[in-house]
Amino acid sequence: MLKKLKILLIEDDMIEIMKLNRTISTLKLDHKIIEANNGEEALEILEQKDNLPDVILLDLNMPKINGIEFLSILKKDDVLKYIPTIILTTSNNQKDLLECYKIGVAGYVLKPLKYEDYVSKIEKLLAYWSINELIVV
Amino acid sequence: MSQEQVEILQRALKREKAARKAAEKILEEKSRELYFTSQRLEQLLEEKSSQLQGVFENIVDAYVVMDLQGNIIKFNEAATKLFGYDISREEINVVNLIYKEDYPYAISSFMELQNKAYFKNYEARVYTKSKEVKWVHINASLIFDKEKKPVAAQGIVRDITDQKASEEKLIASENRLASLVVNLDSGIVLEDENRSIVLTNNKFCDLFNIEAKPSDLIGMDCQAASEQNKVLFKNPDSFLQRMRVIDENKKTVLGDELEMLDGKILERNYIPIITGDTSKGYLWTFKDVTLNRTYRKSLEAQKQKYYSIIANMNLGLVEVNNNEEILMVNQSFEKISGFKQEEVLGKNARELFAIDGSSDVILKENVKRLKGESSSYEIKARNKAGEILYLLISGAPNYNIDGEVIGSIGIHLDITAIKNLEFQKEKLLSKLEKSNDELQEYAHIVSHDLKSPLRSIHALVSWLKEDNQGKLDDISIQNIGLIETTLEKMEQLITDVLNYSSVGAETSLKTEVDLNSLVNELVSILYIPDHIEIKSLNTLPNIIGDRTKLQQVFQNLISNSVKFIDKEHGSIIIDVEDLKSHYKFSIKDNGIGIEKKYHDKIFKIFHSLKKSKDSSGIGLSIVKKIINLHEGEIWLDSEPNVGSTFYFTLKK
Repeated sequence: MLKKLKILLIEDDMIEIMKLNRTISTLKLDHKIIEANNGEEALEILEQKDNLPDVILLDLNMPKINGIEFLSILKKDDVLKYIPTIILTTSNNQKDLLECYKIGVAGYVLKPLKYEDYVSKIEKLLAYWSINELIVV
Repeated sequence: MSQEQVEILQRALKREKAARKAAEKILEEKSRELYFTSQRLEQLLEEKSSQLQGVFENIVDAYVVMDLQGNIIKFNEAATKLFGYDISREEINVVNLIYKEDYPYAISSFMELQNKAYFKNYEARVYTKSKEVKWVHINASLIFDKEKKPVAAQGIVRDITDQKASEEKLIASENRLASLVVNLDSGIVLEDENRSIVLTNNKFCDLFNIEAKPSDLIGMDCQAASEQNKVLFKNPDSFLQRMRVIDENKKTVLGDELEMLDGKILERNYIPIITGDTSKGYLWTFKDVTLNRTYRKSLEAQKQKYYSIIANMNLGLVEVNNNEEILMVNQSFEKISGFKQEEVLGKNARELFAIDGSSDVILKENVKRLKGESSSYEIKARNKAGEILYLLISGAPNYNIDGEVIGSIGIHLDITAIKNLEFQKEKLLSKLEKSNDELQEYAHIVSHDLKSPLRSIHALVSWLKEDNQGKLDDISIQNIGLIETTLEKMEQLITDVLNYSSVGAETSLKTEVDLNSLVNELVSILYIPDHIEIKSLNTLPNIIGDRTKLQQVFQNLISNSVKFIDKEHGSIIIDVEDLKSHYKFSIKDNGIGIEKKYHDKIFKIFHSLKKSKDSSGIGLSIVKKIINLHEGEIWLDSEPNVGSTFYFTLKK
């Protein structure tokens, strides 16, 4: 019933990556995680048009290309712009929030302090997207 | 008698006879001569009389004969014309002719005629037949018969009406002249060759304090009078000496000034009056010019005063005509512009100084001047050295005495320094804005960077706990719990610091905020324990401000009250008072209270009084910052163990 999602996680923090992986395995979800440590790496992955992710989880605070820049590149691409991109960040800066929605995001989730809260948020987020119909190019 | 004697007598008789005969002969001759003479005389007389009669009848003047009762017997042609009566047709008595008022004079003249047989130069008025009044001049004499008895009177009547009229005019104008002289505003004295006063007037007496009528002074000696009057002058001797010199020279002197002891200043003129070659005397005139002199002096003083104000004021002054040509600049303007007056006179002020569009500004201002308007404006200009100046000019139209605009006067204040400060301020402000933005950005990044490790630690600790379930003892589990609590506190701290730094930076829109509904919503959202009651005494007003921040103020204060209530029945009372420009709010609780010495401290950042899990010590400093942003103040009344009341004001 639930769709198996291919998730591109763009995150430079090793522990954050571990958190997502552990959450998915703890929750016994059958989603596939593709990891990218930064924007450039993510863009490389996204060049394989036959293997595009279903959703993208994007951290805003990254070296080199930051989250907002990456988002802009994504939205300018005729194919990639259809991939739902959810911001996963610590920044509750109103400016960032506004900017992201302006460019076009599918969600903006704040990383909570407590791991339990994190698990709960990710569970809901993935449950939501696994019941959504997505554009397949 | 002897022969001899007889002979002598006979001879003598003979001589006597001869002598008588000779005498008779002479007498006869003489009488014949006399006869002829008288004959001739008579003839002559007759001739003369008829001649005379013809003269009388034919003369231009009227000739009148009347009998002694005054009945007119004869009018010559001129008389008929003069009086208008035809005496061949009507009878007229001289009484009909005499002007009523002149009657007594006429009678006395008639008496004179009877006594002396003539009168001369009788001048009086007469009536003509048409009742016209005429002035006549009459010479008259009696006419006698052969027995020397007067029988009639004759007179020559001359019409002097016109002459009389012009005489009267002359008298009138002489009178006018005389009264003019008497009442003249200048004191005058006319003296003759011997320095005797011929004429003077009231003003002269006034000026020299003479208590006499001008007419009483006539004949007085001027020399003596001036000796007497010299004491009236400040410098009596030079007064006299000068007078003597003038008198000796006998030439016109105008505009001498005399200072009198009582402070009066007189202007003296001396004019010899000469008709043809003959001197008619000397005219002295004296005029009181004290007022003129003092006017002139004070005018001069005023002028000097304004001149020195203009010259010394620290404002540049420029006068231009309607063609913008410089007519005058003061010293300050010379200093401001670097030009000397002579370098800029006649030059176009606008073209000489204005740069960067200031020329257009001036042209616009010039139009206003022509309409008579004054105004102030700023221009950018260049001085002689080419340095840029900013001038604040207050310009006003300049008028001539006919009220026409002939140019304008501009007062120039050099505001270059102020202007530069302004520019510097603007630069600083934009720099500050930028660095504020950067700071804001920095705060977010830092807080993100600080929070990330906390999250990671939390995750790792959680995993430790999870992965070692059953392997850890109670103390380790407790310690792990403490680590988690500390992490939360650390995170809260970072959040609060970020909030505090955001308060001033975010320039969110100010809107009208309904504080009443805001507080009501807040009370329903906040966690309020059952034993605490919140009351609003009055409806809270609407205020212009930042809704989110105002909410934060009430939230922080109410939460604080809730947090520190230690009584069984808690009470929080919210009230408002309308001050003139502000509202004063109060939030009163019956909590633990705060000691006086901490009242100032609690509003400072990181000064939490009671260390607790949910108090970072930043809450009240954020509240104070928000209130200050709304131009308000915050303070409190408190008694330990009784409660606290926080007051704050917000601008309407």
